[in-house]
Amino acid sequence: MERGGLVAGTTGRRSRGRLLGERALAAATATSAVVPLGALAATVAILVFEALPAIRFNGWHFLVGSAWRPGDYYGQPVRTGGVLHPAGASYGAFPLIIGTLESSAIAIVVAFPLAVGAAVLVVEKLPARLAGAVGFCLEVLAGIPSVVFGLWGVLAFGPWLARDVYPILAHLPNVPPFDIFRGNVGHGLGLLSGGLVLACMIVPIIAATSRDLLRQVPEATKEGAVALGMTQAEVFRTVQVRWVRTGVLGAVILGLGRALGETIAIALVSGSVLQSATNIYGGMTTIAATIVSLLDSAEGDPTGLAVRTLAEAALVLALLTLLVNVGARLLVRRAARGAALPIGAGF
Amino acid sequence: MGPADYREERLATMTEDARSARASLAGPAPTAAPVGPRVVMSAKDVRLGFGRTTVMEDITVDMPAGSITALVGPSGSGKTTFLRSLNRMNDRVRGYWREGLILLDGQDVHGRDVDPLVLRRRVGMVFQRPNPFPMSIADNVVAGVRAHRLAKRSQLRDIAETKLAEVGLWSAVADRMHDSPFRLSGGQQQLLCLARALAVEPEVLLLDEPTSSLDPRSTEAVEELVRRLTPARTAVIVTHDLAQARRLSDYTIFFYQGRLVEVGPTAELFERPRRAETARYLGGEVDPGAER
Repeated sequence: MERGGLVAGTTGRRSRGRLLGERALAAATATSAVVPLGALAATVAILVFEALPAIRFNGWHFLVGSAWRPGDYYGQPVRTGGVLHPAGASYGAFPLIIGTLESSAIAIVVAFPLAVGAAVLVVEKLPARLAGAVGFCLEVLAGIPSVVFGLWGVLAFGPWLARDVYPILAHLPNVPPFDIFRGNVGHGLGLLSGGLVLACMIVPIIAATSRDLLRQVPEATKEGAVALGMTQAEVFRTVQVRWVRTGVLGAVILGLGRALGETIAIALVSGSVLQSATNIYGGMTTIAATIVSLLDSAEGDPTGLAVRTLAEAALVLALLTLLVNVGARLLVRRAARGAALPIGAGF
Repeated sequence: MGPADYREERLATMTEDARSARASLAGPAPTAAPVGPRVVMSAKDVRLGFGRTTVMEDITVDMPAGSITALVGPSGSGKTTFLRSLNRMNDRVRGYWREGLILLDGQDVHGRDVDPLVLRRRVGMVFQRPNPFPMSIADNVVAGVRAHRLAKRSQLRDIAETKLAEVGLWSAVADRMHDSPFRLSGGQQQLLCLARALAVEPEVLLLDEPTSSLDPRSTEAVEELVRRLTPARTAVIVTHDLAQARRLSDYTIFFYQGRLVEVGPTAELFERPRRAETARYLGGEVDPGAER
């Protein structure tokens, strides 16, 4: 056995090699810790830089205004407040922001019970083989590209809704909350259809996470509740719900993030109207959908303001997502304070 | 209506049911012969298993009221399965079947008019590992009381306090009633689970190796508590620890390979076992059935 001191690197070759490996690992982890942070900072910085002229030109009006007028691309550009812009240009993103929030809200309200219900069914009720099959389908569903959902929405789901479902909804009693379903049901492309397609896209996210969380609930804890003489529903409320709720909320945040930022599917199904929906079936648009559908024509703006305005819209979307995320996290923390989980369990 | 009234009423209907159940049984009523102490739980010719396997057969035994009965035997002898059949916990297991009678106060626990939820309230259970619910310590204690609506909302705090004091945990948790139970030590968690089981005022308490995951001091605390429960309540305890069975129990049942080999007062069974298998097992042999 080789003799050596206790100082690092003095105990011979093997030890030096190990030290090298240690340093390599430290460097690798440091890099992977810095890269996402740097990427986020760079994205926001570039976005802000690109959007700056538009922010100066549009001002606060951008958040509350409703008109989206690119102005005259072919006339003489005008300079206002130091920013060159086409004559008559005026941008207000309020309908986009509202459309984003409305469609995401519909998506979550519809997807949450469906997804959690599916997860409970898979974990608690279905025989193992069937549960495996349903789980597999959920995972496949989560992997389907959004453009496929969008096309399906335009070609099949939307028209079917307009023909067979919306007419029934429109005849619900004229009392809150059902009165929001009254009105012209349209042709199947609009706010509700968009929200429902989004719901289909986020159900697998929430369901798969909820299923995994429910599976982690210890059998012993459930047995403790059964042994106290609780009914199945009471056991579920006492043990499972409390065990998974913070984690499920986390999954809902993930789903909400996807719904807020979803672009192509909503661009196809929303009806692409640059205004707020007149009723729940009406055409609308979201920030992401507007960016993707207007970018091409915005590049025709010789002053560049149109593109910069879209960058500003992107910035608003990023902030909106951040805000929703932080809000949801605060909610989770509040819920988690009362929920007592073993260290390491749950979210 | 207070919890006591409620309980009286429930018990009254149960006794009523018991009477009719007894009447419908062929032959003399199981608890009719008042020989020795009153019997709270008993098994008559019980045979049970899962799917095609028979786990236990030919089990006939009485558990006297106010006593501690220990179930001992090698791993796989069916002790836990038998214990879990007493409050019908096995009903949840796929493929479980049972023949013969399991009686609580002379009433068949599988009787058509027996509500398993009420049965489990009357026959409580504590498990091998502490299994607190993911809620505050106070809520844990009264979870069963809430489910059975045994008390008014305003009484819950008092019940929690009383029960925690009864298990000797109150001074340790008085200032953190609304904290997570998972920050308590394993022994404290097990005491909490005992408090939770006792809060619904069970007549019989089933304990499935309740100290096997605990340190010696916590084990002592749990044993002390179980001792204090009797004679007001009846305890049935599964244990691998023969010394514990000897210290704690009034009666011991020795199971081996799914059969009840021997039953008797603990001191008698440990000092003068009648069967060779019992003697060999008590003598420390892992497989008492093997011929030398």
